[in-house]
Amino acid sequence: MNLELIGNLIRLRYKLLWANTRTRNGKIALFLAGYLLLVMVVALLAAGGMGAGMAAVRSGHGTPLAGALLTGIFLQGILASVVLGFGMAVVFSETELRRYPLKARERRLARHFTGIVDPFWILFFALDLGLAFGLYLFGAGSFWYGLLAVLLLFVCNYMAARVLAILVERLTSKRFGSMIMLASIMLLGFLPALLTPVLQKNKALAAALVRLWWSTPPAAAGVAMTHADLSVLSAFGVIVLWTLALFAVLVAAERWPRKTAVAQNAKVVWEDRMDRLAAVFGPRTGPLVAHWMRFYFRNARFRTIYPLALPLVAVLSFVFTRQTRGGGPFSSGVFPIALGAFGILGFVGTGQFAVNQFGYLGGGFRRFLLLPTDPAAAFRAGSYMFVCLSGALVLPGAILFAVFAPIHTGAAMLAMLVGFSLSSLFLFHGIALWVSIVGARRGKYTQSFGNDLSFAGNIVIIGGMLTMLFGPQALATAWPAAVSPQYWWATPLLAVVAAGFYFASLRGASTLFRSRRERLMALMEGRG
Amino acid sequence: MEPQTYAIGITNLAKLYGKVTAVENLSLEVRPGRIFGFLGPNGSGKSTTIGCLTGLLDPTAGKIEILGQTFDAENAAIKKRIGVMPETLGLFDPLYAHEFLAFVGRMFGLDEVTTRKRVTELLDALELTDTSKTLAEYSTGMRKRVAFAAAVIHSPEVLFLDEPFESIDPAGVALMKQWLRRFTDQGRTVFMTTHVLETVERVCHDVAIITKPGKLVWQGDVTVLANDGVLQFNGQEFTALEPLFLHLTGERYKDLDWL
Repeated sequence: MNLELIGNLIRLRYKLLWANTRTRNGKIALFLAGYLLLVMVVALLAAGGMGAGMAAVRSGHGTPLAGALLTGIFLQGILASVVLGFGMAVVFSETELRRYPLKARERRLARHFTGIVDPFWILFFALDLGLAFGLYLFGAGSFWYGLLAVLLLFVCNYMAARVLAILVERLTSKRFGSMIMLASIMLLGFLPALLTPVLQKNKALAAALVRLWWSTPPAAAGVAMTHADLSVLSAFGVIVLWTLALFAVLVAAERWPRKTAVAQNAKVVWEDRMDRLAAVFGPRTGPLVAHWMRFYFRNARFRTIYPLALPLVAVLSFVFTRQTRGGGPFSSGVFPIALGAFGILGFVGTGQFAVNQFGYLGGGFRRFLLLPTDPAAAFRAGSYMFVCLSGALVLPGAILFAVFAPIHTGAAMLAMLVGFSLSSLFLFHGIALWVSIVGARRGKYTQSFGNDLSFAGNIVIIGGMLTMLFGPQALATAWPAAVSPQYWWATPLLAVVAAGFYFASLRGASTLFRSRRERLMALMEGRG
Repeated sequence: MEPQTYAIGITNLAKLYGKVTAVENLSLEVRPGRIFGFLGPNGSGKSTTIGCLTGLLDPTAGKIEILGQTFDAENAAIKKRIGVMPETLGLFDPLYAHEFLAFVGRMFGLDEVTTRKRVTELLDALELTDTSKTLAEYSTGMRKRVAFAAAVIHSPEVLFLDEPFESIDPAGVALMKQWLRRFTDQGRTVFMTTHVLETVERVCHDVAIITKPGKLVWQGDVTVLANDGVLQFNGQEFTALEPLFLHLTGERYKDLDWL
């Protein structure tokens, strides 16, 4: 085993990470990531670990409590990595590693070692460790058993995320893969709401599920952290078995051959749909819009996310409308939730790409500058496409809401929802124009999953989602009339203002694009 | 109106990246109907110069004239009359070759019928008939052919080629050379960079050699070599381009005794 070389690769992985901090964006990200890490570790030590420890001492339910917390962390790790793409970047590909004197087994180990030492996973390690430390402080279990459980669970968590990511990637590359993914996510979203009444009626099934849960790695880790007897051994056994099983699946999935293209000498087939659709933009802009459509509709991530937008918003609305009682954050009623959902609909389908429009072009960026047009024309055309695609979801959304909403839906209410959605659409895509230039980041076109947005891009996307989720709720609490259909005209008016902002941004960002195009070109070609 | 004496004119061109000088006070002229070889060692500023000449980069100082008009990145009218094969090719990887070429043709104002006809002919001539592969799946040589096709699809008057023959097989190179000769026979101009000096001797009419940082050290007609003539520099005579190039650029490689 060439551990020295693997160690060198891990060091190189951190050197590359450190090299990113040479940019201004990188410095900001480093500062905030370091700060957030510290805050989260402290918060978990205080709230999670110590709280669980205290609960263990006081109530004697430390084991299930620790198991439940670890399950939460475990699932968060999987969701954040598979859905949002954190910690899933392949630092060194198999092809890159083949340059070094490493055997196949060593290359696999090197890939996963460099993957698992991603700061994202270190954060989850710190969270688990904090919990184990908290439990130990309050007298539950042994420190060393706890530490070992954390290490094993950490590896198992990474394996589970990798396996799921690779399966999802393979699935979405298939013809109907995106649709199957869509159905799975919808099912996952609805599952708690569907299962709760069933489990309340069928106690035996609930008990069986709890028994099954005890055989999962986080629950077993909970046992290992809170005991100092022989039961710890079986808990370790459970985690090790799961890890080995996941590793076997991972190896099998990685060996699973991908479909390769076979050379064919055939007549050129002209596919004109995109060109016909984009022709409405005229002979100058039309070809550019058609080009962007072709470019993004061939992207697996775009093909998954865009069709998912409407069902995702429907699921969100459904889930939150079930939380309108009990004084929680969504207690202001169904309509503010719907407003937020329509706000999200305005950008969720295209947002991830609109904030980093050029990020996946690579050397292709240069081509736009060689065309006999204003260099910013391609930039604007891309934005038109995103706006049109997101806008196309608003009307179907309104129709679905009118048909399925649990409240009576009048014309004023629908006008308000559509107006709010369009406001969000123009506002967000206006901001995205600026972020695409000042916060551009080189991404990998072929990667089905992963978060390759810049810090600014993530702030806009995540901030936008949170604002839409909680903004209308806060407004409904502070000023109920503002989210009442009696002021239905307010949101269409807001949409006009937002459209003004969008068109002003188009002009302003085009000027900025011209002055920064050389820097963008260097960045997209991997020289910046 | 005075007849146009040169297709490309560069006066005191300079390009700085921060404090680093990439091109320094470069002045040269390229006559129409000529194949102009622009030579220099790695990192001497050849691609930067082509970048400035084609609108990819903004010069820090100096003036560029193409086809009798002052040129800058915003000059769409001139861009329409030039063809560029950039060093990094500038391809959109997820597209098929015909889609990419059709996009370029449309952007250069060709009508749909002409675009499709030319795309089909170019793909056929350059043996790019494998329609099942996207550009990302093409080999380096095939990608280069596509970039070449994109540079000529609108029948430009001036053609800029950055390392056009690298990675292309001999048959492809022969075809391209034949096209370039025909191209200049019609009074059009080719400005190209390459490191293959034998190719330059056989294909180019005029040559300019620059050294780091983008400083012109020699310019002359190399067609004399075909008639057993010589190239001159500071009273010295050179019977081929390679010794002159090495003399001017001072390329020296350290002797690695362990190799």
